[in-house]
Amino acid sequence: MLRSKSLSSRMADIVLITILALVALTCILPLWYTLSLSLSSKTAAAAGAVALWPVDFNFDSYKQLLQDSQFFKSFWISIQRVVLGAGLNFIIVPLMAYPLSKTVKDFKGRNVLMWTLIFTMLFNGGLIPLYLTIKGYGLMNSIWALVLVGGAQTIVFNIILTINFFRNLPKSLEEAALVDGAGPWYILFKLYIPLSIPVLATVSLFSIVYHWNEFLYGLIFMTREEFYPLQTYIQQLVVSVDPSTMTEDQYKRMSELSNRTLDAAKIFIAMIPVLLVYPFLQKYFIHGITLGSVKE
Amino acid sequence: MDSKKKLWSILAIIFFFVLAACSNEETTVEEDAEENPPTASEPADPFGKYDETITIAIGQEVDPSDTSLQDGDTPLDNQYTRHVKENLNIEVEHAFTASPSNYDQKVSLAIASNDLPDAMVVGPVELRQMVEADQIADLTEIYENYASPAIKEIIDSSGGVALDNVTFDGKIMAIPNSQAGADGVHNLWIRKDWLDKLGLEPPQTVEELKEVARAFVEEDPDGNGEDDTIGLAGPDTSNKLYANFIESTNNLYGFDGIFSALHSYPGYWLEGEDGNPVYGSILPETKEALSVLRDMYSEGLIDAEMGVREDSGESIISGNTGMFFGPFWMPYGPLTDAVKNNPDANWQSYALPLDANGEYTPHLSTTTTQFVVVRKDYEHPEAAMKILNNLLANESEFDPSIGGPGYYPLRLVYAPADEMEVTTVALREVLAGTKQPEDFYDMPAYKLLKSDVDTIFDVKLEPYDNMDIQYWDIENHLGQWTRAYSALVGTAPLVDTEIKGVKSLIYSQTKTMEDRWVNLKKLEDETFLKIIMGTEPLDAFDQFVEDWKQQGGDTITEEVAEAVN
Amino acid sequence: MKTKGFAKHYYLMLVPGFVWLILFSIVPMFGIVIAFQSYNPGQGVFGSEFVGLETFKYMFTLNDTMNVFYNTIFIAIMKIIGNLIVPLVFALMLNELRYIGLKRSIQTIVYLPHFLSWVILGGVLLDIFAYQGPINQLLGMFGMEPVLFFGRADLFPFLVVGSDIWKEFGFNTIIYLAALTGINPALYEAAGIDGANRLKMLWHVTLPGIRTTAVLLAVLSLGNVLNAGFDQIFNLYNPLVYSTGDIIDTWVYRAGLLNLQYELATAVGLLKSVVGFILISLSYYLAYKFTNYRIF
Repeated sequence: MLRSKSLSSRMADIVLITILALVALTCILPLWYTLSLSLSSKTAAAAGAVALWPVDFNFDSYKQLLQDSQFFKSFWISIQRVVLGAGLNFIIVPLMAYPLSKTVKDFKGRNVLMWTLIFTMLFNGGLIPLYLTIKGYGLMNSIWALVLVGGAQTIVFNIILTINFFRNLPKSLEEAALVDGAGPWYILFKLYIPLSIPVLATVSLFSIVYHWNEFLYGLIFMTREEFYPLQTYIQQLVVSVDPSTMTEDQYKRMSELSNRTLDAAKIFIAMIPVLLVYPFLQKYFIHGITLGSVKE
Repeated sequence: MDSKKKLWSILAIIFFFVLAACSNEETTVEEDAEENPPTASEPADPFGKYDETITIAIGQEVDPSDTSLQDGDTPLDNQYTRHVKENLNIEVEHAFTASPSNYDQKVSLAIASNDLPDAMVVGPVELRQMVEADQIADLTEIYENYASPAIKEIIDSSGGVALDNVTFDGKIMAIPNSQAGADGVHNLWIRKDWLDKLGLEPPQTVEELKEVARAFVEEDPDGNGEDDTIGLAGPDTSNKLYANFIESTNNLYGFDGIFSALHSYPGYWLEGEDGNPVYGSILPETKEALSVLRDMYSEGLIDAEMGVREDSGESIISGNTGMFFGPFWMPYGPLTDAVKNNPDANWQSYALPLDANGEYTPHLSTTTTQFVVVRKDYEHPEAAMKILNNLLANESEFDPSIGGPGYYPLRLVYAPADEMEVTTVALREVLAGTKQPEDFYDMPAYKLLKSDVDTIFDVKLEPYDNMDIQYWDIENHLGQWTRAYSALVGTAPLVDTEIKGVKSLIYSQTKTMEDRWVNLKKLEDETFLKIIMGTEPLDAFDQFVEDWKQQGGDTITEEVAEAVN
Repeated sequence: MKTKGFAKHYYLMLVPGFVWLILFSIVPMFGIVIAFQSYNPGQGVFGSEFVGLETFKYMFTLNDTMNVFYNTIFIAIMKIIGNLIVPLVFALMLNELRYIGLKRSIQTIVYLPHFLSWVILGGVLLDIFAYQGPINQLLGMFGMEPVLFFGRADLFPFLVVGSDIWKEFGFNTIIYLAALTGINPALYEAAGIDGANRLKMLWHVTLPGIRTTAVLLAVLSLGNVLNAGFDQIFNLYNPLVYSTGDIIDTWVYRAGLLNLQYELATAVGLLKSVVGFILISLSYYLAYKFTNYRIF
């Protein structure tokens, strides 16, 4: 009786593992495909002959990549953007989430302010007024345009997440501190923030991934390639061009220059940093993301 | 208190951020432009050098993959910009640069926000938009006084079309380019080695073309034993079913040849039976052509992946495709790689299929597609003209190997409308020995002709009158092969065939089109694609015609009538 | 409670964040007036002529308008549902796995696509689903005709939804896993003593344990009903699938920036914002009514 139970249980395990492993396999596919493309020959790639294994295996594209100074410039811009964007996010989010996690009874203006935030999250004036505004601030070609515009559009969601986490922190802690005569700054910095590292790690991760992957604002606010962040730089390589707006010699130049294997090498390198970030934040955000509902 | 300090330090950080951001240098254009005395008092000299350096901030297309610049040169400091500086004393600056895929978007952004460079290259739609918004300078006098005779000659060779396209209310609002007319004819390219292998002849009619396509699909022309061949390629996501009156040139892998052979000219403005303009896409001929294409698609004669592929050139390179429609310069496109991949891929070009009367009746393009515009309040509008004069006069001096031609500021193509035809005839005569290369040295408007005739024997093997791929030496000089093959194979049908071409009544937009055309065109593109691919019945065409008229088509037709008369 | 006078500190905490949002989110909203103008770029937002509701009238005569709204909502709702259920199922399966090492590895692999941008994934997906790509080759082995996946308007929305779920499920799985680890082991022991098998435990212990998390996630995602994923669709679509795949954001982008129809683009964008605001308010009150919980 006991034996047969464990047998059926083992069968279930095998089925389970097969399904899970298959699903996991599909998740590595894009990475693998890009890698094998980057290690193939130019002609094979142009003919679409590369599938799961490199054709005419070689490292040419990586050698070429080393000579592409713009790639590394853009890479560095993206790193800066991520650090500034996530840093700013890390400072502002708890500062805003703490007062807004209070009830109307404790903080009268709370609801109006909260709904204003929701409003800014949903409404926008379109790209052109945004462009004019940024130009008016003198932020064209500045990394701050990327950090501040992108950040402003994603921060509200992060605030909501953090509010929910704050609310689920044990009330007794704050009450005890109040009895000891602690002020709001003390409570936020000495009580809430240390307890909220999981959620702050989570919103930082959101912010990092967002700033690393966003490409449109680089295109809009940067007037020259030298200021592009990495994803914008990659986007202009992989987008196809409408030949009817080109003259024949433009097309000629373009097709002579097209190099899918080099593009793949760039894409592959671009995937790496953000994948490296995750393990460092993983242990925190598993808790941070649950909105504190676990303990209910 | 401790927490107060923290507050202030945080506030300080925030404001430091904002301050740091605000103090960043802004690359504005206006401040850099120096105040110069008006040039009107000087005599107009197309090549005149300014006494004091002036600056011009332009929008420039820069291809990120172009690594031709050498020795620390940059898109802003290279042989071209230095030449402009030395010859004209004009300092070129970049208001913005963008890759070919993003250039249009940057131009749109500049227009929409009225944040314009001093000068830039735009297309016809943007030109019209800028004229409407009163953003650009009237260049009538500039053109008359400053355009070099060589440029005027080339522009006049288009028979007035080039200037018509930039004239609004009698004023010249932009400097037009002029490109070879051959760009606008879409030949039929065929794998002749496949034809030979299957014992077939080039198809003369649409019916025969279907049979050839069928043979290509079913009879395994590449002999690999697999069912992997495509009869006729179809457009990819960056190309169209057919060239239209706004984008009348360089449509790759479309069905232009089939439409034309059936006397259907979708996307073109034609003279109707009553003498009034009518839009080709809503005529019964188009419905018929669509039904032919629909049958071909359902029978598997057309690439099943048309409209979805990122690049139809891929299957040409890999040797899966047997036929496609494209302009003479396809060797500049996928054919080079196709031949590298398979030296037997004998791509030949034909002025086919013919119509019911046995005539070749393709649609013809405008030779003007790009324009240089100058910002309204820019102090030196003639500088743009001088830069272009300088280009045409000195283009042969530049060395493309130390910086591709695309780095020339405000570059427009200036080629006589018959450039390719003349080149083809000249090369044939040189090959036949009836003329010597020196006989063609004195034709400066045909910029590349001298090098073409000088190098033809480097790439063409005997017999000199057989253009099959095995009689070419590709390895010797790839660049020259591309050019010579484009002429002797790509352009040859245009020289040898009597072309009864059809022009559009207009090649630019009218007023209502600005608002409505995009949506009408989308309606058209979607309906036609779906009809061909069989996801909508053929009779969806009738509904399309009705919708098209109702959603602004009728108004636009009236406007076209006004514009034409 | 000694929280009197805290409010002014709360306001102070909010100042930096609000300055940021005002400068980069609210100021650019002046552009909304373009929807009511006949916008002339030469005269700018402040010089253009006002035409009242003209643009909105035209907007409603276009077949496109209703179509893109329908597409957006259809795709977004399917994504919301899928992104709730698939990760839940996956988390439950993973939770059944008793080999900790394997569990960790699979968990770490499946979140991978979440970190890759659509710029990158778009190209890879198009290749994999191409007419002669791996998927069709697989179908061919089972004797099936190849399918033109990304060219079929009837399939496109499902491919979009499917690929989005595939990209995000690993990440969402983590949320559920965290909730699962929060369930008191004593409950399982008790059930075991009562003779419950694996399925019964799942039904009576596991599912009730993560109900709150599921509800909260569902409510939070309602705010995304009008965000069907610009980056994704922008990198995947083509004219063949406009009829079912064009969403508000892609349409607005094309109309406003590529086709120079500023007024129309702004008007559609504004309509989207208004509907979004209504929806999020609705979900806020519904969540409050049913779970007695204020989500922000």
